[in-house]
Amino acid sequence: MMEIMWGQTSLSAITLILYAAAEGTSIAHLRTDQKSYGKATSLLLLAGFLIHWVALYVGARAAHSVPYRDLPASMSFFAWVVIGAYGILLLKHRESSTGPFLIPISLLFLVISIFAKQNGHGDLKDLGLKGPLFAFHVTMAIVGYAALSLSFVLAQLYLIQNKQIRRRHLGLLFSRLPALDVLTRLHRTAVAIGLSALTVAAVLGLIWARINWGTYWDPKVLFTFLIIGIYLFTLFPRWIGWGGKKIALLSVTGFMFVLFSYTIVNLFISQGHTFK
Amino acid sequence: MNVPTESPLVLAGWDFRQTPVELRERIAFSPEKVREALTAMRQEGLLAEGVILSTCNRSEVYGVIGGGLAGRDPIQAMTEFIARFHGVPHGEIEAAGYRFSGIDAVRHLMRVAAGLESLALGEDQIIGQVREAFRLATGAGATRAVLHRLFQKALETGKRVRSETGLGTRPISIPGVAIELAQKIFEDLAPRKFLILGAGETSSIFYDLLLAKGARNIEVVNRTLARSQELCRRGGAAFPWEELTARLPQADVVISATSATAPILTMEMARKAMTQRRGLPLFFLDLGIPRNVDPTVAGLENAFLYAVDDLQEIAERNRLERQNEIEPAMAILEEEISKFVAWLGSLEVVPTITSLHQKFETIREAEFDQRLDQLTHIPEGDREKIRLIAKSMVRALLRSPTDAIKDEPDPGRRLDRAEVARHLFDLDVHGE
Repeated sequence: MMEIMWGQTSLSAITLILYAAAEGTSIAHLRTDQKSYGKATSLLLLAGFLIHWVALYVGARAAHSVPYRDLPASMSFFAWVVIGAYGILLLKHRESSTGPFLIPISLLFLVISIFAKQNGHGDLKDLGLKGPLFAFHVTMAIVGYAALSLSFVLAQLYLIQNKQIRRRHLGLLFSRLPALDVLTRLHRTAVAIGLSALTVAAVLGLIWARINWGTYWDPKVLFTFLIIGIYLFTLFPRWIGWGGKKIALLSVTGFMFVLFSYTIVNLFISQGHTFK
Repeated sequence: MNVPTESPLVLAGWDFRQTPVELRERIAFSPEKVREALTAMRQEGLLAEGVILSTCNRSEVYGVIGGGLAGRDPIQAMTEFIARFHGVPHGEIEAAGYRFSGIDAVRHLMRVAAGLESLALGEDQIIGQVREAFRLATGAGATRAVLHRLFQKALETGKRVRSETGLGTRPISIPGVAIELAQKIFEDLAPRKFLILGAGETSSIFYDLLLAKGARNIEVVNRTLARSQELCRRGGAAFPWEELTARLPQADVVISATSATAPILTMEMARKAMTQRRGLPLFFLDLGIPRNVDPTVAGLENAFLYAVDDLQEIAERNRLERQNEIEPAMAILEEEISKFVAWLGSLEVVPTITSLHQKFETIREAEFDQRLDQLTHIPEGDREKIRLIAKSMVRALLRSPTDAIKDEPDPGRRLDRAEVARHLFDLDVHGE
């Protein structure tokens, strides 16, 4: 068991190094626009993504469960999905300028995950957290959070580009970042995916809670529906006649709730999401 | 003015810096004229190879000198031909242009292809024009080893400069800056709705530019409907001035270039339009002097306003940024020039013949001497004699190709033969 843990930690550390190197090359790509840096970023991320997958798989085999039953593993899985989301963005839209802003989110969660694991937060009691319903619930929740992280980065980039155009400061970022309508479109797609996944996760969670706990109630439910409500307005801005900057700010606010829900609510408020 | 040296490569040119537009127009070459002139120059033996680059800003003739000069100055002979060809007094074009030979001619072409000699520093149209000139000359059979390689190198270098420096990245004209800005709000301009206010010269420039960008929805509003209809003859829709308020909320980009003395787009009009657009962005380009759009419109949510002064300032800033890119561009150019010059130098008679002899001697030593040494039953004295016979045989074998290169009077053909020899015998090419 110790060997597996050590192996998993080593793989996570290698992943961390690869992601960090990819962050370096993606910044260099943003600054210089040289294709070689773009290629290096893609290769480093691909290598990191695959090794990361092996690390998650090894962890899951050891725990005889989904790879994210404990908090460190769930964070690691989240970091993996974020890189996956960026990969989709690269492949589908050839949009690389989000990399320097998105990779750090993955890095941050991976670092926390490694430290939490080192401090023994991964040792679990058997709470019966098994079965396809539970696995699907957590998977969808994490996919939802990852998509919303991407939408958060895109909203930030919108705000930066909007500010540059308004202030007539047409510098490096102005040149490198996509057009406002592209950012809006990508943001909407990320929110749509995030929101759908989160809604499915919430419904599955409610069913699972009813079966296992005998109740629908958990404070997490309240926050999740609040998040869904906020993001619905960013998805359909014309309901309220908003657009552009206001929607980007609303999206950033929504993500603050996501972070709050994922950390504070999980650890201190919700009884069912403490991973203890 | 440069005096030609021993180099076979020559250039005579006239550009916007030194030659008045009236004269440039008279010595410009159409594609047919290019073919005609290149054929004639080669038939007269002035040039062995030639390429003519003719744009609205320059006419340049690049050549490898031919064998029919009979002691005349090759560039002088070339300019006399051009004067005769265009029916312009020789003295007039002699005084107006520039002449380069050898490495200076190579450097000039590289600078031209990189956009360093252009009126708008770093513009990229020139690279297409250089490519076209090369294509025309090749089609007319006027390029061989030297100019073929030189122009390919110049085109590659031009591309390299553009990808590795910031020389051509940011626009330096007002329409260029305006389009770049519009494309940072709406990436694809083709499906966007454009509303042009006014039907004067500026409106016409933007109308053409938008059509070139593939814009399909262009509306023109003007006080005189007939003039806007005239502008829209190639597409788009003309509206009377009274329609302005109704058209405004439909537009994604408003380009205002009227001669009105007071703002025609007030804050009130813009606010109403923005409310109707329900959060969709609207880009106002105010090209009027004095301003056509109330400056406070810039404060409206999702409204972007740029006036002509803003665009001018950005264009100027970009121009200064391009100036800073000249040095890195020149570093790339010098690197490529030295590679080309090394290659050209290797085609000179002496290095080619030396390489040829060295190659044969190396083969003789490796294949013959070593095997001879193994035949120990032959006495040493006889072996030395056999060795001398082999050496003289190599010299005899090389005599004919050496003479064919050395004694060719036509410099262009001499280079060709040297290139063939290098290719056939796989001789080292320096700088590659």
